[in-house]
Amino acid sequence: MIGFDKAGKRFGTLDAVKEFSMTIKDEEILGLLGPNGAGKTTLMLMMGTVYRPTSGKISVNGLDVVQHPNDVRKMIGIAFQDPRVDGILGAFDVLNWHLKMTTNLDKAERETRVEKVLKAVDLWEARNKRTWLMSGGMRKKVEDCKVLAQRPKIAVFDEPTAFLDVPSRLLMWKMIRELRDEGSTVIVATNMMDEAERLSDRVAIVNLGRLVAIDTPEQLKSKTKGGEVLELTLGDGQECPTDLLTQFSEVQDVTQESNKVTIYLSGGRLLLPKIVETLTNRGVKIDSVHLKEVTLEDVFLNYTGHRLE
Amino acid sequence: MSSSTIQVTDSSELSAQTTSRLVLQMARRDIATLFRTPWIIISRSLAFIIQLFVFAYLISGLVISYPDYFRYYAVGAVVSTVASISFIIGYDIFEEAEEGLLDYLLTLPIPRREFIIGRALGGAVRAMIYTIPMFVIVAVLENFANPLSLIGAVLDLFLIAFGVTGLSITVAVSVRSANRFDVVLALLELAVTRASTALYPLNFLPAYVKVFAPFSPVTFAADSARAALTGLGLDVLGLVGLLAFVAIFLGLGATFYFRRLEGGVYA
Ligand SMILES: Nc1ncnc2c1ncn2[C@@H]1O[C@H](COP(=O)(O)OP(=O)(O)O)[C@@H](O)[C@H]1O
Ligand SMILES: [Mg+2]
Repeated sequence: MIGFDKAGKRFGTLDAVKEFSMTIKDEEILGLLGPNGAGKTTLMLMMGTVYRPTSGKISVNGLDVVQHPNDVRKMIGIAFQDPRVDGILGAFDVLNWHLKMTTNLDKAERETRVEKVLKAVDLWEARNKRTWLMSGGMRKKVEDCKVLAQRPKIAVFDEPTAFLDVPSRLLMWKMIRELRDEGSTVIVATNMMDEAERLSDRVAIVNLGRLVAIDTPEQLKSKTKGGEVLELTLGDGQECPTDLLTQFSEVQDVTQESNKVTIYLSGGRLLLPKIVETLTNRGVKIDSVHLKEVTLEDVFLNYTGHRLE
Repeated sequence: MSSSTIQVTDSSELSAQTTSRLVLQMARRDIATLFRTPWIIISRSLAFIIQLFVFAYLISGLVISYPDYFRYYAVGAVVSTVASISFIIGYDIFEEAEEGLLDYLLTLPIPRREFIIGRALGGAVRAMIYTIPMFVIVAVLENFANPLSLIGAVLDLFLIAFGVTGLSITVAVSVRSANRFDVVLALLELAVTRASTALYPLNFLPAYVKVFAPFSPVTFAADSARAALTGLGLDVLGLVGLLAFVAIFLGLGATFYFRRLEGGVYA
């Protein structure tokens, strides 16, 4: 279990992380979702003993990160946002050295593991290519592979699929899930809502250094104005009679931007015919109807008042 | 191997005994970087030989006021070379900090104090590897054959290398701006190696250098190595000075900077 207790990090006059409290459960994938500059990396590097918190406490399996940094380090593996690999070495040597430093595996075991993980991400052929000659995506994969091969108790991935193509992203997600299934606690920072939603058991929404909300993606979405979104496109110049719609108890909120109406509601499927009927009876011309699930994007918008990008 | 049996890394498994293994791994890493650019070793060795012959051999003939000046110069040149090479580790670490590689190294399960000691050890050993061939040339030329003398001189070389790497690392982790770091380290290198009696006896030094030279660790090492090799015996003062230098920059330096690094004040 990992606990953040009013943790804060101040760089000069900037509060990169402020009054941050949350608990990460064993063997879950926790997604840290927030825009660039939200403080995700700072949070993880404080936990990983690279940055010392300027206020509050962080403990990893009961050990305070400031008091017992080296014991904490023994449990954690971090895949950095920007790959931190010795450019002159090839992927094989980078990973082998990482395992040498972080595990007690013998040479044969290390090499087996490195081979397995490099084959899985399709880098085995390029294992001896100097990493500084690699593309950004390849280098990022090598960085992620450090932790995938290490299989630490606590695995940290900082934007693990940035620069990766779609098949590689799906593969990386699969491998991260396997790590969790084998008993690692996984923390993934991302600014992509689909990554947070599809990969995480729970999502912590981070904005301006603060925790905004933390829950399962489903709960976060269901807490957001009902859980479904009905998007209507009206005929040109049509006004939506908002009060008529909010009389339904399932309708949480209605907004209109030019001829686009967004209705946040619960039980949308059942209500859809009624809404269309009510509006048509009022003489409102509806061009199209689109019922969709709430996404984490909507959740983020709802909590912070702005979009993720 | 089924995937569920792979889970290994556990805090209890990386024991105290592994710490020393990791320290040695850090040292090995620094030694390995030296051999990535073997041409540097070759060209520097050649430069050393040329310097020794063309400059010192010719000049020493002219220096009548100091007997055996070539011998004096040759040993001192080896000592000042090992000191200069030992400064390089600071540049390596500073570069790592700029590239972010240092952040990664700092997440590895090595206590900061041991981290610094491991790197100083690596820096010192590689400076020795680099300098030993030059030392052998000098020993052959000057007929230094007494095993005890040779061991004493090698010890002097190692101590100065260890202390200077400690100093260089201390500067690297404490000066944040790249420009200032280059200037500070270059000046320090100049002060420590040039303002010493390594190449010229104290009486022949310019007045402003004369004031500092007796306190330079390179002076301690050079005088102590010469005393050992030329049969004057043990230079106790020099050795004590050298040991103090090592203790200050490795002991105190490591402890002080480990406090700053530990828990991650760095960056
Ligand atoms: N080492 C540092 N020194 C000064 N400011 C920093 C440092 N690291 C991060 N910051 C600042 O802290 C804030 C949070 O950054 P970061 O944790 O990297 O966010 P994220 O990972 O969510 O994009 C940003 O405003 C960033 O500029
Ligand atoms: Mg980040």
